[in-house]
Amino acid sequence: MTAHEERMAGIVRRLASHDADGLGTLHLCELAAELTGSSGASIMLLSDELARGSLCTTDGVAAYLDDLEFTLGEGPALDAHGGGLPVLAADLAAPGESRWPALVSSAVQAGVRALFAFPIRIGAVRLGALTLLRDRPGPLADLQYADASAMAAVAARTILALQADAPPGSVAVELEEGANFHFVVHQAAGMVSVQLGVGVTEALVRLRGHAFRSDRPLDDVARDVVDRRLRLDPPRPV
Amino acid sequence: MSREALLVRTLVELADNLVDDFDVIDVLTVLSDRCVEVFDVDSAGVMLAAPGGELQVVASSSDAMRGLELFELQANEGPCVDCFVSGEPIVNLELAAVDDRWPRFARRAVAVGFHSVHALPMHLRGSTVGALNMFRMSEGSLRAEDVLAAQALADVATIAITQHQAAVGAAVLNTQLSEALNSRIIIEQAKGKVSEASGLDMDRSFQRIRTHARNHNLRLTELARGIAEGTMSIVALDPLPRARPVRAISSNPWPGSRTPPT
Repeated sequence: MTAHEERMAGIVRRLASHDADGLGTLHLCELAAELTGSSGASIMLLSDELARGSLCTTDGVAAYLDDLEFTLGEGPALDAHGGGLPVLAADLAAPGESRWPALVSSAVQAGVRALFAFPIRIGAVRLGALTLLRDRPGPLADLQYADASAMAAVAARTILALQADAPPGSVAVELEEGANFHFVVHQAAGMVSVQLGVGVTEALVRLRGHAFRSDRPLDDVARDVVDRRLRLDPPRPV
Repeated sequence: MSREALLVRTLVELADNLVDDFDVIDVLTVLSDRCVEVFDVDSAGVMLAAPGGELQVVASSSDAMRGLELFELQANEGPCVDCFVSGEPIVNLELAAVDDRWPRFARRAVAVGFHSVHALPMHLRGSTVGALNMFRMSEGSLRAEDVLAAQALADVATIAITQHQAAVGAAVLNTQLSEALNSRIIIEQAKGKVSEASGLDMDRSFQRIRTHARNHNLRLTELARGIAEGTMSIVALDPLPRARPVRAISSNPWPGSRTPPT
């Protein structure tokens, strides 16, 4: 076994001792944070360079970061997924840090000082990204980096193993448990599409724009639309 | 091209196949052809174990080789069979010396013009998945470094095949997951459109879409896609049956009237 495989085996053993009821995504994020000395972690599913949602998040800050990335359409998870390589931002507040300006300023305000994203992939098959958050700046140690890579590899196999047992055409129940696939956002996009007389893709862009301008998570804005507290009607002709 | 350059080119060729347009027979045909070019052998071929465990001829550098390998499988004796079963390499074995070991195979191979045989195992994680066979027509033996190099080529080809098989499985599952999520997203979008257009809440909107799909024998996802993309008019959806509690009717205090007076 290679060192990488040994690390993966160790992680699987630890997950098995956590999840007495069988394989699940429940403890993936917690274990990822623990192994890498991070203050939080999240696992995002991505496809077609789009964020689909998070499978798990350790806490509110990690969930907030995922929301930001989903709302803004930029961030380390998307970059790691797109490029197929880890994306490391060891000091978000450093003057030289110019990636994802909108995301970084909100992240720093929320107390996040470092972000590390690892692609979740098997060969050329890309599923998403594991993001590690730290409330202090500083790079990952070599062993932490190795553990994060192994964790991402375990996550890839866990996700596919769970999905393998799902009925055709549906998402595995175990994957939905604890996940946020932002379904409310797509409901709101449907409503806004009727309100504005535009396609659902355009409606989603308008919703994102509204969330960004009002500095609120897209999920919250979408909830307001679905509960009919907010309408995105076309501007009245002057 | 020098022998080393040929070797390197072959390694790159085999590894290249890891990426896309992967074809198992292609990779193993490249392996057989290059073995003949690089090493001092006249024919080469590859046998792989099918999922059931039985060996199959997958690639051969010549028709004579292919015929001989098929014969070997039918007779169930010969270098590839032994190499596959034992997992051990067979090198520089002169056919004249193996009359009693493989009587039918040896006779046939000599008749086709071969003088000596080599068979190298294709290993994966401790188990043997196939064998690379190289046959020689004239006297003389394969050098030790050639045996090592040929084994390296066989190993790369084995890795390429197994990685490809794992990747195909992963790609299929990932596509299923992605499509299942897409379907869910499209259904949520359709619910939103129906909800906004008809004033129903999300649950009732979903019921309306589902009812229409059932009434017209449509797939839910297809109907939802039509609604979300605007090719299916929301007004044309069957209305939901009015919710009418059974008990209220049976104890109707206004006999003869379906609705209470307002």
